[in-house]
Amino acid sequence: MTTNTILQATNLTKIFGSGTSEVRAVNEVSLKIKHGELVLIMGPSGSGKTTLLSMLGALLGSTSGEVIIDGIDISSMKSAELAALRAKKIGFVFQAFNLLEALTVEENILFPARLNTGGIQAAKERLDGLLNSLGLTARRKALPNTLSGGEKQRVAIARALINQPPIILADEPTGNLDSHKGQEVMMILHDIARDDGCAVLMVTHDPRVEEIADRVLWLEDGAIRDRKSEQHSWVKDPVCGMRVDEWTATIATEYKNQQYVFCSQNCLDRFNKNAEQYTNKS
Amino acid sequence: MFYWSMKTLFSEPMRLIVSSLAVAVSFILVIFFSAVFEGESNQMVTYLQKMEADVWVMQKGVSNMHMASSMVWDWKADKIAKLPEVKEVSAILYLNGPVKIGGKDWFSYIMGISPEYQRAGPWDMVQGKAIPAQGEAVIPEVISKLTGVQIGDEVIMIDRPLRVVGLTRGTFSMASSVIFVSHKDLGDLVEGNDQFSYIMVYAKPGVSTQALIKSIKYEVDKVNALSSEDFIKSDWQLAVQMGAEIIRMMITIGTLLATLIVAFTAYSLIARKKQELAVAKALGFSNGQIYMAALCQSIVITGLGLFISLFISFTLLTWLPAVIPQINLAVRLHQFIPIAIITLPVAVLASFSAARTVTKIDPMTVFNS
Repeated sequence: MTTNTILQATNLTKIFGSGTSEVRAVNEVSLKIKHGELVLIMGPSGSGKTTLLSMLGALLGSTSGEVIIDGIDISSMKSAELAALRAKKIGFVFQAFNLLEALTVEENILFPARLNTGGIQAAKERLDGLLNSLGLTARRKALPNTLSGGEKQRVAIARALINQPPIILADEPTGNLDSHKGQEVMMILHDIARDDGCAVLMVTHDPRVEEIADRVLWLEDGAIRDRKSEQHSWVKDPVCGMRVDEWTATIATEYKNQQYVFCSQNCLDRFNKNAEQYTNKS
Repeated sequence: MFYWSMKTLFSEPMRLIVSSLAVAVSFILVIFFSAVFEGESNQMVTYLQKMEADVWVMQKGVSNMHMASSMVWDWKADKIAKLPEVKEVSAILYLNGPVKIGGKDWFSYIMGISPEYQRAGPWDMVQGKAIPAQGEAVIPEVISKLTGVQIGDEVIMIDRPLRVVGLTRGTFSMASSVIFVSHKDLGDLVEGNDQFSYIMVYAKPGVSTQALIKSIKYEVDKVNALSSEDFIKSDWQLAVQMGAEIIRMMITIGTLLATLIVAFTAYSLIARKKQELAVAKALGFSNGQIYMAALCQSIVITGLGLFISLFISFTLLTWLPAVIPQINLAVRLHQFIPIAIITLPVAVLASFSAARTVTKIDPMTVFNS
């Protein structure tokens, strides 16, 4: 891991609305992310995690404070300049995968390559390596609607990496995956940070990821705070049996007057199909 | 983005075909009206062409047959016939007016034929006799089919009943069909038994048209003489002028229709792909690049519409008169020029609807699961 800072935020604040309807989504957040670091942003729903990630990813302007990406202060940049910066410096991985439906796996991966100075040809040379390392070689001509959730997320990761950006921003990358596939995606992101030297900043509710993260930033009411240990409330996902923090979990349902929480949407879907089977088991 | 726009467009072939067909329909509408108009305009000069005269002589100050009136004393035909440059003359008395056939008024070129000038009569007979005697009429076969009026039935020229004795081919037009009656009947009606309207002059071999015109004008007073080419051109232009406004209006309507269709398609495509475009924006594509993608889609839809309209026009429209004989269609390549010219502006205009949507797409929506 190198020690130089690639992403820095200083007193970053975002306020939505004004007067009585004013909402301070992010409040005076300062942080530094270094090359090769895997940093998690965790916190309860509505704590401002996605807003912070959007500002750090140059997708949303701040009300005050500054964001410096690879030594460049983006505060006064125009939208076209920000777009160019995103293309070169940041790779995005989303919870909903966000693949382009009409494009094949390799076309999806190469999609942002046209924006890079290296161009499409240089990207094509990297493509085979990415397909191979992410286990997608056999699926390179497949369309997204024929892929599993795990495969889709691996394609999204390959797309984020194709321009070799120094920063990867991931928003709930395991949110739509079952525990096994989620674990797989986490390990890929971990390896990207460790082996490629990328700074990986991930918003997640998944407490299992903490084990592989270098740091965890706890966001609460828009500000980074120390997380108290008693804020964990570990329960078992009734479907896969994985450990889930009941306090932070967003995927939950009520069955026979009892609350159940899940590690992923897939587990919830399975539960809804045959709740009796899982409640009897537990 | 160009690659994405094309792949997205062609990934839904049914939607693309339906949109392009809708554009094609609006273009075909323009081409159809243009073809009908040109077909009708051509038909209006068919009689002049079929007579194959070298020079047409008419009353001084007249230079048309369509919507015109001309009266020339009959002795002038004799005088022209005696000119050394002239091989032969023929003449007709002519009236532009309605003939009631099968209970309906058919606006017609009524040709009064003299027995001595039979060359001025019909050139393609289907049935019956070609040269009508007094009390007789020769009508187009198409009118006979449309009305059920047969040989032996009665038609009325203004107020004069005539019996149908012959059916002709190639003489029908929605605007002006050619109906042949006797010079006597028409002469009685217009009080012109000692007159003709137009004299067709055929030159001797080796005599130039201009020399013949010069000679006629020199020898015969108060007449106008035009080469057949100029006379036909003048009549055709008059017909075209009369319909130019209609054609212009049809092109405008067709263009607006095509623009609306492409605009709607481009807009709906962009609206349905908002999430993907938000991803593109998040990844670093600019509004301009995304707008160009929308423009490319509009151009493809419009271009495909143009291609389909050309194909249908050249196949179906040329075949249509065989099924509907009352339609005179002339499908010509030059009719596609205005359509081809408006194709690009249509696509650009239509893509404006998408441009507004593109600028409003918020890349933040990529975080919506």
